[in-house]
Amino acid sequence: MNIEQRQRRLRLPIPDSRLPIAVLAAALSIALLSASGIAFGHSPRELLSILISGSVGSTFALQGTLLKSIPLLLTGLSVAIAFRAGVWNIGGEGQFLAGALGAFLAARYGMIAALAASLIAGAIWASIASAMRLWRNAPEVLTTILLNFIAIHLLGYAVNGPLQEASGKYPQSDAVPMTSMLPMLGDLHAGIILAVIAAIAAWFLLYRTSEGLRLRASGFNRSAAKWAGVNVDAQLVRAMAISGAMAGLAGGIELLGVTHRLFERFAAGYGYAGIAVALLAQLHPLGTLASAFFFGALTTGAGELQRTAGISSTVATFGQAIVILVMIVFTRSARSAGVSPAGVAASRRHGRAEER
Amino acid sequence: MTNQLLAAIPLAIVASTPLLLAVLGELVVERAGMINLGIEGMMLTAAMTAVITAQLTHSVMLGFLGGIAGATLVGALFGLFALRFAADQIVTGTAIVLLAQGLTGFVYRELQQNDIFNQPIPRLGIDVIVPLAWIVIPIALAFLLWRTRFGLRLRACGELPAAVTANGASVALHRWTALAIESVLAGLAGAYLALALSSGFAENMVAGRGFIALSIVIFGRWKFKGALLGTAVFGIAAAAQYALQASGRGVPFHLLLAVPYVVTLLILCGIAGRVRAPESLGKT
Repeated sequence: MNIEQRQRRLRLPIPDSRLPIAVLAAALSIALLSASGIAFGHSPRELLSILISGSVGSTFALQGTLLKSIPLLLTGLSVAIAFRAGVWNIGGEGQFLAGALGAFLAARYGMIAALAASLIAGAIWASIASAMRLWRNAPEVLTTILLNFIAIHLLGYAVNGPLQEASGKYPQSDAVPMTSMLPMLGDLHAGIILAVIAAIAAWFLLYRTSEGLRLRASGFNRSAAKWAGVNVDAQLVRAMAISGAMAGLAGGIELLGVTHRLFERFAAGYGYAGIAVALLAQLHPLGTLASAFFFGALTTGAGELQRTAGISSTVATFGQAIVILVMIVFTRSARSAGVSPAGVAASRRHGRAEER
Repeated sequence: MTNQLLAAIPLAIVASTPLLLAVLGELVVERAGMINLGIEGMMLTAAMTAVITAQLTHSVMLGFLGGIAGATLVGALFGLFALRFAADQIVTGTAIVLLAQGLTGFVYRELQQNDIFNQPIPRLGIDVIVPLAWIVIPIALAFLLWRTRFGLRLRACGELPAAVTANGASVALHRWTALAIESVLAGLAGAYLALALSSGFAENMVAGRGFIALSIVIFGRWKFKGALLGTAVFGIAAAAQYALQASGRGVPFHLLLAVPYVVTLLILCGIAGRVRAPESLGKT
């Protein structure tokens, strides 16, 4: 069977949808999160009602949720593309920051330039890891994580040093010029359109092009793809660059649409949250539309919990972890669903002769 | 500069002790065929449970035990998913790090009004952990892994688990034991970090030491000598960092903070083509 035939067989809009599992995972995370308050004397029912009203209960809350969903959608896509290709990009956090830094530096040339810079900066930051993987056989799962820490400290240096605001008062940058800010759509910014376009584009790339088939084939079974004539190394480089560009764009959009300034805790966990977003969507780009909204709501609701009930907003991270754990257990039997591409097992054995 | 560097070496040895404990634990686990990224979360949880226990009991010893208990709980969770449910280990490990960050952040805030995180913690009298980590534990573990039948089987679990099964032994048992060893070491590491190196718990205080440990295991080629050497190299690089800081040569503080991670990246890149991982590493 040649590649074209295989591709035709795989042409379904949602090839491996397991919606009930995703809904169960989401519900379980909310339930556990509400229940965990019992230990410290909070009423689970009260927590649940704050979570819901604080995230989708009013127009204002819903706007907050949508605003948070935008970067989550893009970092989720970043992870979905990488994992589909069997590439362990855990570096969304660093690529997000690289993208924001790139956008900030290019902001004086206007919005388009800043957005382009964020894509490129994210891709470059991620490509450090793929270069180290190909040339020095360093496992990308570790290098991407280490690059996160380096990016965080680089940003810390930037906002305390060369990029600090002119008044020198706080460790933050000046605001980007007005001309580079994203246009507003009511209370949202145009980034939401870009993010949705990115999701559709990622779906088209993965499921409607032969390039996408090669990408998924490399992740699904690395050696089979290799024997079928796919240049798996090139796919690794490409997947990592696209994945990094998505996370970088998330950072750029967050800067140009929401914060307008850089500061030390700019990334705020969006990169790591992307893993939860992607897994809840079962690594499907269009599924990330729904799962990014769910985690956007969780993040916004957790913020409301912190304001009204004094509960740390890090419970959102707890919710992400629960979702990931539930998803990997229930999709384990269907490894072909892509939650854990088989080829990843091979790529993980660093330093094997036949790999190179 | 040289004097400052020499003066910084003892400090570097002490400062990299939690890292070494993590490296030793991860080495055992990887030899048994698992990759546990969750060690970062084990250390973080241990740091918190150690401080809570030490404060409640006014005893450093019990604080260390509390740290081990905390790390064991997290290790058991990893085992439940990675071994019992055969879930992907890298994703499980990442989730466990997030879980630990979320939970410790939550508990930290809940107990902030309490005295637990505000009162000075009981101090360690004589530091027995440093010689334990740098001499006793590596020798004991090396003996266990390379001189006993149990160790041979444990390593076989990392190379060819089917052979262990064919031999009538349980792969799961050996892997759970490896996880238990790692839990104790990660617990000690987290407790040492909070009770000896710092004066209490702080959010995200492990700061990537778990991930650095995984890198050093690879650099040390899954051997104890390599683990000690790798941690020492890393520690001396860190000492150079302290010396630079002390010399006040105007290297910006935030760039110095990035040095350990850059060193680790270089360490990972310096091993090209010469390492052979346990054959079944990370396979479920």
